[in-house]
Amino acid sequence: MQDTLNLFVMNIGQWLSANLGTLNNPDQIIVEIARWLRTEFGNWGVVGFILANLMATVPLIAVFSGCFALTTWLERKGLGRIQNRYGPNRVGPYGLFQPMADGIKMLLKEDIVPERADKIGHFLAPVIIMIPAMTGLVFLPIGRNIIAASIDSALLFFFAIGSIVSLSVFMAGWASHNKFSLVGGMRAIAQLVSYEMPLILSAVVVVMFVGSMNTSVIVEAQQIKSWVTSDAPALQCLGQVLGWHVFQPWGLMGFLLLFVSALAEANRSPFDLPEADSEIIAGHLTEYSGFKYALFFLAEYVNTFAIIGICTTLFLGGWNGPNIRPPWSDDPQALLIPGFVWFFLKIFVLMGIMIWIRGTLPRLRIDQLMGFAWKFLLPLAIINLLVAGCFYHMEWYFGWPFSILILCKSYAIVVRLNKSKLVNSNRTYTYA
Amino acid sequence: MIITFCILSVFIIIGAVSTIRLHNIVYAVFSLMLLFSAIAGIFLLLMAEFVAVAQILIYLGAVGVLILFAVMLTHSVTGSSGKNIYSNGWGWGLLLSLSILFATLLPAIYFSDFPSDPAVEIIEPSVKKLGMEMMHSCVPAMWLIAILLTAALIGGIVIAAPPQKR
Amino acid sequence: MNGQGILKGMLVTAKNFFGSYVSRERLTTVSYPEGGNTIKEQSRNIPFLVFDGEDPVAGMRCTACQKCEKACPPQCIFIEKDKDERGKALQRPKVFDIDASVCMGCQICVEVCPFESIWMDSNFELSTFNRFEGLQFNREKLLKSNTYFHKIHPQQAQASDDRLAEKERKRLEREAARRAEKSASEPQV
Repeated sequence: MQDTLNLFVMNIGQWLSANLGTLNNPDQIIVEIARWLRTEFGNWGVVGFILANLMATVPLIAVFSGCFALTTWLERKGLGRIQNRYGPNRVGPYGLFQPMADGIKMLLKEDIVPERADKIGHFLAPVIIMIPAMTGLVFLPIGRNIIAASIDSALLFFFAIGSIVSLSVFMAGWASHNKFSLVGGMRAIAQLVSYEMPLILSAVVVVMFVGSMNTSVIVEAQQIKSWVTSDAPALQCLGQVLGWHVFQPWGLMGFLLLFVSALAEANRSPFDLPEADSEIIAGHLTEYSGFKYALFFLAEYVNTFAIIGICTTLFLGGWNGPNIRPPWSDDPQALLIPGFVWFFLKIFVLMGIMIWIRGTLPRLRIDQLMGFAWKFLLPLAIINLLVAGCFYHMEWYFGWPFSILILCKSYAIVVRLNKSKLVNSNRTYTYA
Repeated sequence: MIITFCILSVFIIIGAVSTIRLHNIVYAVFSLMLLFSAIAGIFLLLMAEFVAVAQILIYLGAVGVLILFAVMLTHSVTGSSGKNIYSNGWGWGLLLSLSILFATLLPAIYFSDFPSDPAVEIIEPSVKKLGMEMMHSCVPAMWLIAILLTAALIGGIVIAAPPQKR
Repeated sequence: MNGQGILKGMLVTAKNFFGSYVSRERLTTVSYPEGGNTIKEQSRNIPFLVFDGEDPVAGMRCTACQKCEKACPPQCIFIEKDKDERGKALQRPKVFDIDASVCMGCQICVEVCPFESIWMDSNFELSTFNRFEGLQFNREKLLKSNTYFHKIHPQQAQASDDRLAEKERKRLEREAARRAEKSASEPQV
C-alpha cells in the first residue's frame, strides 16, 4: 500500500510536468486528469474499478446539487425582484448562503409520516424519484469528451428514464393517504404522459438531421467543421455558433416546442398543476416534511436541469460557444475557454427564462393544459417533423423560405383552430 | 457480470413472486415495475441497449402507467387479507409444474448448440439503419399498427366525448 | 393574440425586474433593522407617560386622576395613587401599570386625559423572553421625556405643548385677575 501510494504521488508529478507544462489544450484538462486517474486506478483491482466509476458519477451529483442550491437562490432572488421585493438577503453576502440555511433547516426538521399512510411507499417514493433524475444527467455532454455515459441510444434512454418520474410521483401521492396528494399524483401522471408526446416528437427532428442519438455526436454536428478548423479566429468563433440547430427554421420551432414541453415535463410553472400550492396545497408533497421533502425538491430541480441540458444539447449547441483555438496550441480541436463554461452558461440562461416565466404566467387549468398538449403542441410538432424532412432534402435557398412559410402558416392555422368553436367548445361543468 | 446477473435475477424472482402474492394491488403494480426494470437491466447486460430502452419506455413508462390508472379506478385497493388461495396439495402442484417446465426446457437447452463467440462483434443501433428497416421491409406492419392505433384513438375519443345535446 | 399576450406579460415582469434595481420607488420594502426609521407621525402602538424636565417623577404630568383607567376598554391600565408620609393622597401615581399583552392601542386613554400626560408611543420592538413580567409595563418603563415625545411625534408634541402653555397662561391670567380683584377690594391705606 505504501509503495502504491508513493508511486501514485510520483506519477502525479510526472503527469503534471508532462501535461500542464505546455497547456496545449486548456479545454481538455479535466478529461486528461480523469483519463490519467483511470489508468492509474486500473492497477488497483476492484477498488480501482469502484473509484473509476465513482469518478464519473460523484462529480455529476455534486455539481448538479450545487447548481440546485444556486438555482433556489436565483429563483427566490429573481422572483423577488419581479415582484419588487429584495428576496433573501440575510444569510451571507446577497443571501447567497440561503440554500445552506434551508438545507440545515430541512435536515433538522422532524420527519413526519402520517399515521394512515402507506409506510413503505411513503419512504420509497423520494428514493425512487432520485433515480431517473440523476440518471438523466449521465447523458449530457458537459464538455468535449466530458460525458458520463456516451452510448449510442442516449437520447432514447433519456426519454425512457424520464417516464419513470411520473411513477414515483404517483407513488408519493398514493402512499400519503391524502386526497390532495392523490389528486396531485393523478394530475402528474396525466400531465407527464401527455407531454411526453410533443417532447419526444420535437426532439426527434434533431435525430433525423444528425442521424444519431448519441448526444456527443449531436453536439459535434452543430459545428461548421471547415470554419472551426480554419485559422481565422473570427471564423472559428462563428463556426461554433451559427451551426446551432436553433438557427434553422425547424430548429427554432423544435426548440420552442421542446422548451414548452420541458416546462410541463419538469412540473415548472405555468404547468405546475401536480403541485399547485394554491389549489391542492402541494400535491404529492403535502404529506412530506424534512429531508424527504428536500429530496423531492432536489429531484425536481435536477430533473429540470437534465431536461434543460437536453434542450441545450439538441438545439443550442451543447458546449459550443463563441470560442477560439488558443494561439499557442497545435491541436486543431483545442479550445481556449473550456466547453463546460458555455454549457453551464446556457443552462443557467434557460433556467433564468424558466424563472422569468414562473414570475409572469398564471397556472393553467387542467383542461387547458391537456388541450394545449394535444391540440397545440402535438400538431405543431408533427408539422415540424414534416418540414424538417423536406428541409433536409432541399437546397438551402429553397428550403428556408419554404419551411419558414409553412411553419408560420401552420402556427397561425393551429392558433386559429384552437380558438374556434370547432375544436374548443365551451367548457361544460357537469358536477359544479 | 455474473454477480450483476445474479442480483438482477433475484430482483426478477422477487418481483414476479410478489406481483402475484401481494394482496395490496398497488404494491403488486410496483413490484411489477421492479420486475420490468430488472428485465431491462438484463437486456443491458446482454448489450441489447435498444431492447432495454424499449423495455423501460414501453413497459415501465406506458404499460405501468396504464395499470396504475386501472388500479386508481378500483374500489378496494388492499383486498381482503383473510382469504388465501390455499389447498393441501400445493406441493404436488409445484412438483408437477416444475417437472413440466424442466421437461420442456432441458431438452431445448441440451439439443441447441450455443455459439461460444458473440454472434455480432459490435452492436450498432444506427438510427439510419433502423429508419431504413422501418421504411422498407417493415412498412406493411407499420401501416397496420398505424391504422390500429388510429382506430383505437378515435374509439377512445368517442368514448370520452361529452354526450351531444339534442 | 397569437402568443403576443405572453410576450407582453413577460415584458412587464422584465420591466419590474430591472426597474427594481434602478429606481428606489419600485422597491418599497424596508430592510428592517438597518433600513432606518420610517415610522410615520401618526403611528401608534402602546401608551406612554410624558414628563417634563429631567427628573421623571418630579416632572410627571400625570395626576393619577384615573380617567384613563376607567375609560380603557380592555382594562389594561392599573393606577394606584401615591401618598405622602402622613397618608394624604398626592397628585401622582405610585403604581401605573399597562399590560402590553392586553392593550389594543385604541388611543382612548389619550383622548380622555385632561393633563396631556398619556400619549401613544410608536416603539414596536416589544418582544420579551417572559410574557407575564416582560409585558407588564410599570411606571418607570412608561415614563418618557418630552424631548422623546418631540422626537417621535413632533406635531402632536408641539400641539400638546401649546395647549399646556395656553392653559398655563390662562391660569396665570386668572391668578393675576384674582390678585388684582383682591387688591382692588382691599381698602386703601
